[in-house]
Amino acid sequence: MSLYAHNLSLSLSDTPLLNAVDIEVLPGKISTVLGPNGAGKTSLLRVLTGELAPDSGTVTLNGHALRECSAIQRARTLAVLPQHSLLNFPFSATEVVLLGRTPHDTGIAHDRQIAAEALQAVDGDYLADRIYTQLSGGEKQRVHLARVLAQIWEAVPEGERYLVLDEPTSSFDLAHQHLTLEVVRNLADKGVGVLMVIHDLNLAARCSDRMHLMQCGNMVVSGTPGQVLQRDIIARVFQVEASIGVHPLSGTPLVIT
Amino acid sequence: MAPRRLLLILGCCLVPLMVIALMMGPVFISPTGVLQATLDAIDATTAGPGSTRDGLILFSIRFPRVLLAGLVGVCLAVCGTAMQGLFRNPLADPSLIGVSSGASAGASLMIVMGGGAMLQGGQFAGLSIVALGAFAGGFLAVLLVYRLATSATGTSVATMLLAGIAISALAGALNSLLSFVADDEMLRRISLWQMGSLDAANWPRVWFAAVAVAVVMVLLPREGAALNAFLLGESEARHLGIAVDAVKRRLILMTALAIGISVAVAGTISFVGLIVPHIVRLLIGPDHRYLIPASALAGAMLLIIADAFARVLVAPAELPAGILTALLGTPFFLSLLGQKRRIGEV
Repeated sequence: MSLYAHNLSLSLSDTPLLNAVDIEVLPGKISTVLGPNGAGKTSLLRVLTGELAPDSGTVTLNGHALRECSAIQRARTLAVLPQHSLLNFPFSATEVVLLGRTPHDTGIAHDRQIAAEALQAVDGDYLADRIYTQLSGGEKQRVHLARVLAQIWEAVPEGERYLVLDEPTSSFDLAHQHLTLEVVRNLADKGVGVLMVIHDLNLAARCSDRMHLMQCGNMVVSGTPGQVLQRDIIARVFQVEASIGVHPLSGTPLVIT
Repeated sequence: MAPRRLLLILGCCLVPLMVIALMMGPVFISPTGVLQATLDAIDATTAGPGSTRDGLILFSIRFPRVLLAGLVGVCLAVCGTAMQGLFRNPLADPSLIGVSSGASAGASLMIVMGGGAMLQGGQFAGLSIVALGAFAGGFLAVLLVYRLATSATGTSVATMLLAGIAISALAGALNSLLSFVADDEMLRRISLWQMGSLDAANWPRVWFAAVAVAVVMVLLPREGAALNAFLLGESEARHLGIAVDAVKRRLILMTALAIGISVAVAGTISFVGLIVPHIVRLLIGPDHRYLIPASALAGAMLLIIADAFARVLVAPAELPAGILTALLGTPFFLSLLGQKRRIGEV
């Protein structure tokens, strides 16, 4: 049981975006995808979540081919947080979070309870009655994080749950970056498989169970933070000279550039 | 404002408003007169509503007219809501997908080709040839727009917007061409038709509009959750388990049918489809589960009021209702825009 992609290839109008990529997101684990701009990270997410069909290769969700899963089955087990949202209608923050409960039919009282808990989890209880369009960028992003949390808040009979996040920390201040990682870790501890695209190598090192480093549509290396964050690999992929230390608190690798 | 409260207020006001609209006209009929005539119509033992002057006015003119105004108002407002949700744009309205200009072209074509004599006599199931031309033109335009925007990968809303503009321009050109070749009498009919009016109201038209309203009000509220998810963006809606392309197809078909019929029976009445959902959204927020029924009620009321004024302002002549909807709706809308919406209230 996992979210598993095997031998994915994708090209868009003759530009290769993905080249025989393998990745497995395991329940209860946090996987991160890293790489320079244009490495194919977002394309990989879009194929993994069924938004794009790969030219070749397969994606399976809990053992079923993703394309054969019903829309509801997929939505109940796989939540996706995009980098940007198009929403420009004056919902209250609670209403936005409640949209995450759309695929479930657990009743409005129960859904409201979940929405309140999800908002609380992202330090957003004070936002509950505020109008979404009047929030700051970081607050909006937290509301959307709460929305996808609400979507996979409870275990469902359809199978293991997964959360895919595209650069969830990009518009957050330091405190909320760490809060996000904590939220994601709590979620993984509840059995949810998490896949994140993230740019900050040190944040990734602290939270990842598995790291995947991509370059030009290829998966360069997959492994633990210690295996991936090597001096020669970083020099090759990012063209940056770095030295690798040890984080004094967490003991994870610390990339110093 | 709490959504349920607005629904309750609108629901309670609708019937009294209809009674007032029935009273108004070149001949004033008292509320008891309206009640008496209604009872006469229900009661089979009397001679029927046609036996008195008031009964005759009410049942052959005002009842169909007020009902038609209400039904067309529902169609316009509800389809406007659906289009604004589909396009994720509070400025969208049904004319965006070509239905209004297509209908105008269809109607003009019938007016110009039909000539005077055929127009008087040409009827089909109570609808004039012009009305049928309008329905066909509007429906065809929408189908064309939808086909243009649909490819193997699905329907693109952005392409649909552009195709709608293109088809509208094409229909507009056809319309201008027809106006160019039309004689003075036809020209006047064309321009009057385009302003939209309910003066041709009769019972068959009421039944057609009732069918459109029944279809829309049964099917559209089911898409409320999907429309809410749509506001997040298409891929987010898909991730929330919405069958995006099927929803789009249903919304477009429903709009084509309902607006096609309403344009056929009442001409193009602008503004209701754009402003009513907007006003309701300012009052209760964008949740479509409430927005759809509340817009339906508000749309019916706006058009009933506008039509009542259209009948009495310059009596015994009449103003086209389309002028009144804009005259009445705009000040209200602007005053709402000035206020901040629902502060601290969900």
